[in-house]
Amino acid sequence: MANKKIKQIAIYGKGGIGKSTTTSNISAALVKQGFKVMQFGCDPKSDSTNTLRGGKYIPTVLDTLREKTTVKASEVIHEGFGGVYCVEAGGPAPGVGCAGRGIITAVQLFKQQRVFEELDLDFVIYDVLGDVVCGGFAVPIREGIAEHVFTVSSADFMAVYAANNLFRGIHKYSNAGGALLGGVIANSINAPYAKEIIDDFVKQTKTQVVEYVPRSVTVTQSELQGKTTIEAAPNSEQAKIYTRLALKIAEHTESKVPEPLDVHELREWASKWADHLLALETGEVTSKASCI
Amino acid sequence: MIKILDQPRYVCALGAMQTVQGIYRGVPVLHAGPGCAGKLAAGIAGNNGDSGYISPQIYPCSNVTEKEIIFGGEERLAETIENALRVVDGDIFVVLSGCTAEIVGDDIAKVSSRFANMEKPVVYVETAGFKGNNLEGHEWVINAIIEQYLAKKPVKEKVKGLVNIWGPVPSYDPFWVGNIRELEKLLIEIGLTPNAIFGEYRGIENIDKIPQAEFNLLVSPWVGLKNVKLLEEKFQTPYLHYPTLPIGAFETGKFLRTVGKYAGVDVEVVEAVIERHEKEYYYHIERTSDVFLENRTMSRRFSTVTNATDALAISKFLVNDFGLVPEKQYITDDTPEEYRDSIEKYFTEFEYGIEAKVTFSKDAYRIHEEIRNCDYFGPPLIIGSIFEKKLTKELSGNFLAVSVPIKERLILHSSYVGYHGGLRLLEDIYTYVLKQFN
Ligand SMILES: Nc1ncnc2c1ncn2[C@@H]1O[C@H](COP(=O)(O)OP(=O)(O)O)[C@@H](O)[C@H]1O
Ligand code: SF4
Ligand SMILES: [Mg+2]
Repeated sequence: MANKKIKQIAIYGKGGIGKSTTTSNISAALVKQGFKVMQFGCDPKSDSTNTLRGGKYIPTVLDTLREKTTVKASEVIHEGFGGVYCVEAGGPAPGVGCAGRGIITAVQLFKQQRVFEELDLDFVIYDVLGDVVCGGFAVPIREGIAEHVFTVSSADFMAVYAANNLFRGIHKYSNAGGALLGGVIANSINAPYAKEIIDDFVKQTKTQVVEYVPRSVTVTQSELQGKTTIEAAPNSEQAKIYTRLALKIAEHTESKVPEPLDVHELREWASKWADHLLALETGEVTSKASCI
Repeated sequence: MIKILDQPRYVCALGAMQTVQGIYRGVPVLHAGPGCAGKLAAGIAGNNGDSGYISPQIYPCSNVTEKEIIFGGEERLAETIENALRVVDGDIFVVLSGCTAEIVGDDIAKVSSRFANMEKPVVYVETAGFKGNNLEGHEWVINAIIEQYLAKKPVKEKVKGLVNIWGPVPSYDPFWVGNIRELEKLLIEIGLTPNAIFGEYRGIENIDKIPQAEFNLLVSPWVGLKNVKLLEEKFQTPYLHYPTLPIGAFETGKFLRTVGKYAGVDVEVVEAVIERHEKEYYYHIERTSDVFLENRTMSRRFSTVTNATDALAISKFLVNDFGLVPEKQYITDDTPEEYRDSIEKYFTEFEYGIEAKVTFSKDAYRIHEEIRNCDYFGPPLIIGSIFEKKLTKELSGNFLAVSVPIKERLILHSSYVGYHGGLRLLEDIYTYVLKQFN
């Protein structure tokens, strides 16, 4: 137990892209494989672990800190599906204070208390809010927290934009011992062009797609029951995909420094794809393609 | 590129808390981290203005820490203002914000405005350190009082001969009380009625009179320009900008003539005052000229390392009254870019066609290197702050600390302004020179 290496993973992506859904399914799949897992929601929305806990919210680290000056980690760890340790960093009310600092405080609090070691964890998975807008949201990729970063992205330009921003953050910290990129989890990939777009983006930025996760109604149904797909529909095709993804992440060892596009390159890249899609579906631009 | 600033002589905008303290019964209420006030006071107030009825150690402060950063500190500030009003018996409360509160976006305007209808005026100023220095902060404090307090009061009639005095910055100018008092006396002598808000027993009563002045008199190269301009806009009060703090006979005479003319004072009245003072002044110069002329421990060349006000005032005195030769003058107050050209020009307007080079620098390392490499044709005179003491020793020169940080002398009400001020400055300079003989 003493020298076990804890694998710490951070999952980033644009808001609403499916980070929490994907992360919770990964956590659920990993505990089913017998691993000890903690899922750490780093998003003031505080709903990262809901589907692991029957749709219920838990008191957050920062809520607890608001009431008193010291917080014992044990007060904010709540067990969920299969024994996943669920933590939500929480945050200030919209429009006040500094959510970024909140994330830093919550993460540091855990690090200082050596909670991960005491719980004998195999995995800590951080589910981190949207874009890397400031230093606070970059804290999991800074030295000494996560080692591997994955980003959830669809073929939507805004999602790709956020992913690229994350790559820029990783790039920046990479010389100082920060986390490296494991790859892209391509979510909601159903149309063939969506796969092509994501494949092209990872090629441009010298990374890889870890898994293609289709958009599936099973996910929605499970969520409505307050459950992950792994729990609610363990035998579904979607559950198999999540399990495959979880195992790939468990076995993943070598992350790399991505090569993000600069703003102009990214815009050019997007307009190239827009033209291509137009030509492809002349007159029949789907809503998805229209945002490219 | 990272640069280390060696021995800066100004502090952040929150240092303008001293301006509030300079207003008798004015109470600064800080929305800042623990330590800001103490550190800033050590930086500029030091042993002159660090204690009293209200002082940096006891300013009401919200003590913003991690909790307020994350969740916002507005409620904490509201509590602090509320309790300050309850506990501290003051006449005007000025809320000043520091870096942390402003970084997280606390709306101090909104919080302060909740106290708009209290018995005592509550105004606010955003003085986060990253926004500017303490001199800019000083201007912001005064502008806040003008806009949020004075401009809301009913208009009163102008009073003939009433003149607001602006220029010396409380605490940051260690001689601020004395300097303001001297300026007041000079105005009184030519028949005007001075109105200054800083120092003993002036306070809110004098603040209330500001809009009634016939004109505003700003005696400083740049600090305060924003205030007199705002006063012109709000109350149609014209202003006279006299950039040089007058020290000694030459400049004080010029000052009195300029102010007298602007105010429409009878020339004879002004000339009579000047004559009387000059008679006394030159009597002392004359009877001491041996000391000035016959010593081998001071060359005729000098540099000042100080804020724009003192650099200009002292070099004008040493050149015009005393015939010394200016080497480079170093201005260390982080003067805003917009004023630098006009300030440089002031240094080309000495008597006898003499001009001085000026360097604006915040970095004592560079300044000191330049001074070391300058030929002063003998032991120089260096006038600055305590930071120049060691340097001057190294050069076997003569030294006088006049601007913060001073640390080695106590200044209560003395001043270098006016005729007596000029004599006082000579006493101080030559006391050092004479000690060299021992
Ligand atoms: N592969 C998917 N198939 C169907 N719905 C999905 C899929 N991924 C995410 N969603 C849905 O999208 C919504 C947002 O997902 P969520 O994981 O909360 O996003 P994030 O955490 O990135 O903000 C949820 O309602 C979720 O059920
Ligand atoms: S720079 Fe900011 S933190 Fe430092 S003393 Fe000034 S207000 Fe406080
Ligand atoms: Mg989420």
